[in-house]
Amino acid sequence: MVARTPAARSRRGHGLGERAMGRFFLAPSFAFMALIALFPVFYAIGMSLYRIRGFDQEFVGLGNYLDALGDSGFYSAVFNTFVFTVTSVSLEFVIGMAFALIMHQAFVGRGLTRVVILVPWVVPTAVAAQVWRYMFDHNPGFVNAVLGADINWLRDPFWSMVGIISADVWKTAPFVALLLLAGLQTIPRDFYEAARVDGANAVQRFWYVTLPLLKPAIVVALLFRTVDALRMFDFAYIFAGYSNHLATLSVYAQRYLIAEPDLGYANALSTITFIIVMLVGLAFISRMGRQVVGEAAPRKEKA
Amino acid sequence: MSEHTVQAPRPAATAPPPRRRSKGLPPWAVAALKILGLAVVVVWCLFPFFWMAMTSLRTGADALTDPNILRGPFTFESYEQVVDLGFQYALRNSLIVASVTTLICIPVAALAGYALARLPLAGKFVILALTLVATLFPPVALVNPLYQVYLEVDSLIGLSLLNSYAGMILPYVALTLPLAIFILTTFFSGIPKEIEESAKVDGATPFQAFWRVVAPLAAPGVGAAAILTFVYATNEFLLAFSFAPADLNVQTVPVFIGTFERVGYEDPIGQVMAASVLVSIPLILFALVLQRRIVAGLTSGAVKG
Repeated sequence: MVARTPAARSRRGHGLGERAMGRFFLAPSFAFMALIALFPVFYAIGMSLYRIRGFDQEFVGLGNYLDALGDSGFYSAVFNTFVFTVTSVSLEFVIGMAFALIMHQAFVGRGLTRVVILVPWVVPTAVAAQVWRYMFDHNPGFVNAVLGADINWLRDPFWSMVGIISADVWKTAPFVALLLLAGLQTIPRDFYEAARVDGANAVQRFWYVTLPLLKPAIVVALLFRTVDALRMFDFAYIFAGYSNHLATLSVYAQRYLIAEPDLGYANALSTITFIIVMLVGLAFISRMGRQVVGEAAPRKEKA
Repeated sequence: MSEHTVQAPRPAATAPPPRRRSKGLPPWAVAALKILGLAVVVVWCLFPFFWMAMTSLRTGADALTDPNILRGPFTFESYEQVVDLGFQYALRNSLIVASVTTLICIPVAALAGYALARLPLAGKFVILALTLVATLFPPVALVNPLYQVYLEVDSLIGLSLLNSYAGMILPYVALTLPLAIFILTTFFSGIPKEIEESAKVDGATPFQAFWRVVAPLAAPGVGAAAILTFVYATNEFLLAFSFAPADLNVQTVPVFIGTFERVGYEDPIGQVMAASVLVSIPLILFALVLQRRIVAGLTSGAVKG
């Protein structure tokens, strides 16, 4: 239909015009995302303004959000999510960076390591969660046996948080390493030689050459990891079910969506989760997005 | 590497003692340290998997009382038990859901990626930025709305999407599309424009230029995006657990394994580990075979040469 616009016709005399083709190619993706993702979000926001009990619906405006502010379970979910995200992403970054540097330095065994490092990434999170949960379990106490400790990892609020953080760090530090390694490989060797000639030691070379040039890779790795940690569900649920001492925002919202339906409130919780995740993600993207997106996007069309 | 080249022009007075630890070491020690470092990485990645495999071979009573995973007796009992529980159906369901998700997502994303990389479109930068933003989407925001929509669809036209493959595939496609589009846009942008220009000079229509010339060249990118989509779909837990929690005809592997404890039995440690091994081995082989593509896909957004 649009194929007959003058612009399209003047570009090429036959076939589908390029502009029309562009819209036509984008349409399925965006229709799909709008229908399955965007529409549900608005629906959820709408529902969050009602108090829903069975078939009764009563408009309460922001009442559900005010309820959240007075709900200690909500605060502990926010706290858990925050602690989990900050701790696990920091550890993943430090360990991932160490792994990337190790792999970058190595001559022998590099190929093997690059294969092995994909193992934690490809194993489903539910599997990783069960393995770590049983390793931490009190009865056989594998972790306790190794540490020579006697800690009730799964019941104690503090130690169970340590447990899910360990599991998450195990699973995703290698992923961070992979992203950073790819970044390291793009830094020209000459830069290091030049820094050496100028008398920079290893720490200075890392600080003044590696880190700044690695920044795009670091930002992308942190973006993916932070967002994933903020919306994390699997580890917390599999370690502790719905119990409040580990429940993250996703777990807490899902509890009132499915397990103990209180739909208006649940939709308020999931909307809050949505807003937090989006705000944090946008903060990353708006600061660094231009360089990342700019690389994927082609340079300005020539005419 | 070549640490010995450093020595010459450095003002020695400024150097605090611990600074140059590698300088004092002979080359063999540096090499040994590097290999040790790699060994740490390898053990880190493989140890939990090894623990899982060993535990799956021990009887539940042993595994629960004795933390030494190397102590037998070893049996395949747990494997027989998970097969009796129907784990093979969960594997089949995961394979179907992940494959169909990939088969829908990738062609649709390839079209969008090509349009964004190549075709004249207004607001391309904004669209691409929005796509990146869409990758942030928290799945929990979909649970209730889609649940309600599925109920509505059921009551209106009698099509039940709860406890069905389609009920999982639809949101998976929507959630994997943004990243797939982003990866494919990057790959399409990397293909020299001259190639398709010359195809057009030879008389190809824009669509022919895309389908015959560019699409085959983008095959590595398509492969990378497909693998990431497939892995996402095999890994997803929250939506599968919400929409298809218990019915073995559709239940996927993460739900089967993640909710195992609640199925009954005393403590099914052996069965959980056996199921974990059964799903991990094919996925690990998959990762080994496709290693290069996976790394290309994971890093395409992060770094561009």
